Amino acid sequence: MAAPQGTQGVQNFDPLAFPGQVVDDVVVPVPSEVFSVLDKLGEPNWNHEIREVDIPTSSDRTRLSLLFGYVVAEGFVAVQAEDKEAVKEAGRDVISLAKALGLSKSVLPHAQSILDAADRSDWKAIRKEFDRTQQTVRVTMEEMKDADLSQCVSLGGWLRGTASVTSVVKKAFSADRAELLNQPMLVEHFVATIGKMPASTREHDLLRSIRKGLDAVLERMESAVDGFTKDAVADIGITCERLLSEITTAKK
Amino acid sequence: MNSPWNFRWIPVRPIVFTSFLLAVWTSPLRATVDESHDYCMEAATPFVEQGFIVREDYWNGEVKSGQKLMISHQLFKGNEYAFWLGSASSGVQMDIKVFDEKGQPLSMDKKTQEHFMSVRVNPPKTGTYKIVFELKSKDSTESVLWALSYGYR
Repeated sequence: MAAPQGTQGVQNFDPLAFPGQVVDDVVVPVPSEVFSVLDKLGEPNWNHEIREVDIPTSSDRTRLSLLFGYVVAEGFVAVQAEDKEAVKEAGRDVISLAKALGLSKSVLPHAQSILDAADRSDWKAIRKEFDRTQQTVRVTMEEMKDADLSQCVSLGGWLRGTASVTSVVKKAFSADRAELLNQPMLVEHFVATIGKMPASTREHDLLRSIRKGLDAVLERMESAVDGFTKDAVADIGITCERLLSEITTAKK
Repeated sequence: MNSPWNFRWIPVRPIVFTSFLLAVWTSPLRATVDESHDYCMEAATPFVEQGFIVREDYWNGEVKSGQKLMISHQLFKGNEYAFWLGSASSGVQMDIKVFDEKGQPLSMDKKTQEHFMSVRVNPPKTGTYKIVFELKSKDSTESVLWALSYGYR
């Protein structure tokens, strides 16, 4: 079909026929990237989204890494609610998980900065510091040849962030808010990451369950061609909540 | 007494020398990788003053001059994004384009300076976007070190 007169036909970019180098590294957005949009679309009551995380006693590093991401994401929720005590609680949880993971040395300065910034109600600094904390932990893990654990940190954070988003969207449903869940590339990334892990990690009960859950979430996202329904949002929320609950349920 | 010492010196010296060479050779390279990110942060400074939040995670690497690179990235409608591409090499020409899921280019505000460029985009939809960029050095056979950071508000 000819382009309309007076306009130049523009050839669409086809990523599958890209002649250059594809950079596989995926930068997972921090929860506050999504939260900031929700704030622009209304005034969610973030205080209702804060929850206390019961950190189980565990020496399972996969679980601890997932929990670490979860707790950092919880910190982002607390910042959004501008709740000093909840931020400090997340900061203290970060310290105890870092100790359990043997990463105190690299994490303590960040955790202290979070606690100090909470005293000053410096929300911008706290957001930055939570992002730094997560990055430091992931980089340190990668340096220790624990790249799989580093991915678990991102995964735990994404699950908690997405659970909060679905909760806020459900309370005041709109197409614009629900569209924030259109994140199939990130879900595919996590599924592929788990798939590439060594069998011993991939077959971990939690990761097997998370992979199944992510498949279900991906199906919901991919079928939302005409936008997300309330039911789809609720389903994604239920799946994320169930997985988070499995992460926090300690096995003796 | 001399014999054992001489015997020891022969194998040890090349290792020490190689380590020294490696240290000398890799130190500037490392510095350059970090420098590319430093330029990104320099590019980001005026954006921070305008309320952008800079992410700590970023992409970096080394690429043949003129070779295009593509990154897939999640963007959320309602946020404004800025991407900062930096290179420690001098005289590098840079370009960034951002495409939506249908392969349509997004309109954006670009600014280029020596060592870095910045672009701002307002994604029309929430979803996966392709960031395509290239760096061309004066010497086309040279490889270029790069870093790409982003922020949002």
